[in-house]
Formats: sequence, C-alpha cells, structure tokens
Amino acid sequence: MPLIMITIFGYTFGGDVKNIDVCVVNLDQAPANQSMAGAIISELGTRDTLDIVRVYSPSDAYLDPVAIGREKVEDADIWAIIFFNETFTQDAAAIAGDGTGQSALVRLIADGTNPNIVQAISNDILTAIRAVLGTSAFVVPISISTDLVYGEGARFIDFFAPGVMGLAAMMVTFMLSIISFIHERTTSTLDRLLTTPVTEGEIVAGYALAFGLVGLVQSIVIILTAVALFEIQIVGNPFTVLLIIFVFGAGNQGMGFLLSSLAKNEFQAIQFIPLILFPSLLLSGVFWPIEAVPAFLRPVSYFVPLTYAVEGMRSIMIRGWGMGSIWPEFAVLVIFAGIMLLLSAYSLRKRR
Amino acid sequence: MSGAGGGKGTKMTRMLEGAGDIVRTHRLRKEFEDLVAVDDLDLKVGPGLLYGMIGPNGSGKTTAIKMLVGLLRPTAGKAYVLGEKVPIVDNISRIGYMPQEMAIYADLTVHENLELFSRLYSMDRELFEKRERELLKVIDLSDRRDALVSQLSGGMKHRTSLACALMHDPEVVFLDEPTVGVDPELRVGFWKYFADLKARGKTVIMTTHYMDEAVRCDLVGMMRLGRLIGEGTPKELMAMTSTSDLESAFMTMARKVGT
Repeated sequence: MPLIMITIFGYTFGGDVKNIDVCVVNLDQAPANQSMAGAIISELGTRDTLDIVRVYSPSDAYLDPVAIGREKVEDADIWAIIFFNETFTQDAAAIAGDGTGQSALVRLIADGTNPNIVQAISNDILTAIRAVLGTSAFVVPISISTDLVYGEGARFIDFFAPGVMGLAAMMVTFMLSIISFIHERTTSTLDRLLTTPVTEGEIVAGYALAFGLVGLVQSIVIILTAVALFEIQIVGNPFTVLLIIFVFGAGNQGMGFLLSSLAKNEFQAIQFIPLILFPSLLLSGVFWPIEAVPAFLRPVSYFVPLTYAVEGMRSIMIRGWGMGSIWPEFAVLVIFAGIMLLLSAYSLRKRR
Repeated sequence: MSGAGGGKGTKMTRMLEGAGDIVRTHRLRKEFEDLVAVDDLDLKVGPGLLYGMIGPNGSGKTTAIKMLVGLLRPTAGKAYVLGEKVPIVDNISRIGYMPQEMAIYADLTVHENLELFSRLYSMDRELFEKRERELLKVIDLSDRRDALVSQLSGGMKHRTSLACALMHDPEVVFLDEPTVGVDPELRVGFWKYFADLKARGKTVIMTTHYMDEAVRCDLVGMMRLGRLIGEGTPKELMAMTSTSDLESAFMTMARKVGT
C-alpha cells in the first residue's frame, strides 16, 4: 500500500502538465515553406505539452475561426486557442531585420480557470518560438498576448479553493462515516436499530442526510473564510456549489458505510482511509490539473468521484456556470451517491 | 389485531404454524464455518412466561436469541415469533431486544437514548414521558437522567440499555444477559419488574448464567453445545435430576447427555 502511494505521488507531484487540448488558427499568409507560424505550429506538434485538436488555416477563414475557437474555450472543450494573424511572418522578419514595424503577435485566448495551464501553454509557445528562431536569436521578435475567457484575475487560491472544499468535504464525510459506522457495529447499537421498525434504507438515508449536512456546514465555513481572508472569487451561484457538496458528501458517506462493513474492527477500517484518500488527493485535480497526471494514470482520475466534484465546483466558482452546464459532473455525483447508498442498504440487509 | 386476517395464504399458514406460542422453533440450526452454534433447537414458549435460557458461554444462547430477533439467518430449521416466521417484519415493533453488549449511544444522555428509541417506535411525546419516568424508576437512574452515558458506570449503562429495550412496552422482550454487572439489590428490583411484566401478560425470554437467578423463571431451558439438554420448571429440573439446585441439575443433565 505505501508502495502504491509513493509511486502515484512520485509520478504526479510536480509532474509536467501534458496533453492540454488547444486549437490553432493560422492565418499567416507567408508561403508555407517560409512561414514562421507554420514552423512554430509544427514545433508545438512535436512536443507533448499541447495536444493540437485542430489547426484552422486561411481556407477556413469564412468560418470565423477565432469566434469558433473562443466559443470552444467558453464551452471548455479546449483550454485555449492560439492565433497567428495574416502578417505574422512579415512582422517577425521586419522587426528582426531592422527593428521597425510592429512586433509579431501570437494571440492566446485561454481559459483562465487554471493559472497553471495558462502558464504551461504560454511557456510552451515561447519554447517553441525559441526553438524555431534558433538559440542564437538575441531579440525575440515575437510577443504573446493573453486574453482570458474565464478567471480574469484568478489567482492560484481561486483555483485551489474548490479543490480544498471538495477534499475537506470528502475527508469529513468519508472518515466520520467509516468510523462511526464501525462503532455502531462493534457496540451493537446497529443490532438494536435493526430490531426496531426502522428499515435498512431509512438507516442509510438518515446517515446520508446527516453527513451531507455536516459536509455542507463545513463547506459554508470554508467558503466564508476563503472569501473573507483571501477574497476568492465566486462568479457563479454558491448554492449550486453547496448542492454539489451535499450530494458528494452523501456519496462518500455511503462509501464509508460500505467499506466499514468489510472491516472487522476500527483498525481494519482505518486502513481503508488512505486507500481511498490518496488516489483522490493526487489524481482528482485538487492540487494540479488532471492534465498534470501522467497519461497512464489519467483513466483512474475519471473513476475518482472527487474529480467531478472539484471540476463542477470550479466551473461554478470561476467560470460562473450554472446547473445547465455542469449537469454532466452533477449527474456523475448523483449516480455515485445513488449506487453507494443502495449498496449500503443492501449490505445491511445481507447481514441478517 | 396486527398481523392477523391478512388475505395472503402464505401468511395464514405462517400464523397457523406458530399459533398460540410467542416463540416456537423447529430444528433451528446455525452453523458458522466449522462450528455448529445452535444444533436443531426445538423451543416452545407460551405467552405470559418468564423463560430463562441457561448454559455456559458458547452454548448457543446468544446465537439462538439473535436468530429469533432477526439478526442472524438460520442455516436450517424454522422459527416463529408471535406467529410470524423469522426474520419478522410485521410484528417487529411488538418485540424488544437487549443485546449482550452495551448497545446504547455513549455520547448521548440517558434521556436522549430513551428518547431516540421512543422515536424509532413512533411513540408520542406524552406516552414517552410517562414511560420514561416509569423506567427510570425501575433502573434507579431518575437522578442521572441528563448524564452522558459515557460518564456512567458499567452497571448504569447496562440498566439504561435495558430501559431502551423496554421503552415501547413490547409484548415479548428478548434480554441477553440482562443482569450482568447489576448489583444484587438492584437485581431484586429487576426481577420484581420482570414479574410485573409477566403479570401484564408480557413474555420475557432471557439468557443468564447465574443459576440462582434462573430459579425465578417459570421455565428454564438448559443449553449446552448448541443443544437443549433439559427443559422444565426449575422444580421439575431439580426433581428429574434429584438435585437441590439448578447448578447441580445442569451438571447432572450434561453428564446424562454424555459428551
């Protein structure tokens, strides 16, 4: 177990951000073999930081690729659109030659929800530019202008806050549930409950309600503290955030309930905690974006419920989205909670 | 008349098979992996009786009780409680159960524990308050009503647990070692209360390993290695074995069965 933990930790912690989905719009009119934009794009293509989903060329101009690209960023289908204008090579050559004319400009229209990702994209573009110009280039005749779709002025704390809330909600509901349920079993209060008219479903629902509320109260405290002390921004509706926490908390309660029914005593139950907590902590995008999780571990990320809770909350708090846009994440959490609670009730019934 | 008159045929059969008896088992059996905890137990307990199951640890008393209250599934055989096949559902609020372990919430007060169980049985407020006063007197904890259970002595916890099992005034109550850790003076009080329950037509089924207590039961079932090795009134059992106390009676019975 510790071995798995250290391995995951080693691969993820401080890992490079990779496979960021972007689109490129290249309207550069220089001939293909001389186009500096073309060279930069193919250089970007050889590197693994960015996954270029599509390159729009001048022949796509009638589509208004910038508008299309911006829309894709707004929908969070891609993280950014990288835009080269018609005179890109010409501008770059001019400024490199006699230092006149305007500097060639790479325009970056990015989703600022995650400052790490924006940073990684512009760094990668810069690296690609340097590679194209050669190491000898003294002056870089190209500059990058970044235009954020979401998260204008977002700092790392804004990115971090939803993650912390999700993680805290998970810890308190999951751990309390696993411990209190094992306690309920070892002290036989569960036996007593099961001989009353209360049904298994009612016991599980009661637990879910209670722990959902615990998660909720905790999140309210976190939100208020974060707003008061760190002035985090909440663009969207905070109540939708709380709804996510409630459902997520109930799901974790169910998971704790289930796992504790597999354990014979407190000591065994406690060992389940890191088993669940570590993958969630490292793979769910709390501290770093999923894009920084190594590709072979990323499928695991999509099995971690916290991933969806954090993603949903980030979309609300930074992007300002509502239920209409985050419903897929919300649906995953509802399904998670539903399955966990049903299985819990079933496991109680089977005990008899 | 709860339970009776249900239109379903299966229910009628169920009713008939266990009719009249509060508890009835037929070759009831429970196996745990390689251990036979209860071995073809045939029990029959009529209404208004104080039935005591005696026997050493591991004789299957607790396992038998747990099957009767629906916490364990029998491996084989049949059991009926209040005429309903176990695990009972329709009549569940007519039984009370006090597990061997404490089985009360340590971070709640005595009052809160009692209240919790009264709510689980949907008792109304007035009735609850009346029952609480009554039971607190029986368990002699009226002055500790608002004390946290975690701050009570072992015996007090035990008494609270008993009160929780009796809260909803069940028709039949299963008590697993109700008098362990209860001081002699209070034990007398308990027995008075059990007699009182009996007088009101309730049935008490308890396990104990205090032989001197079992003498107070109307019927005693002696259990050993999962089997009922003798059953009868304490007097009958002593006469059968020509002994003068239940302890010797038990020993004689055990020798007679062999093993």
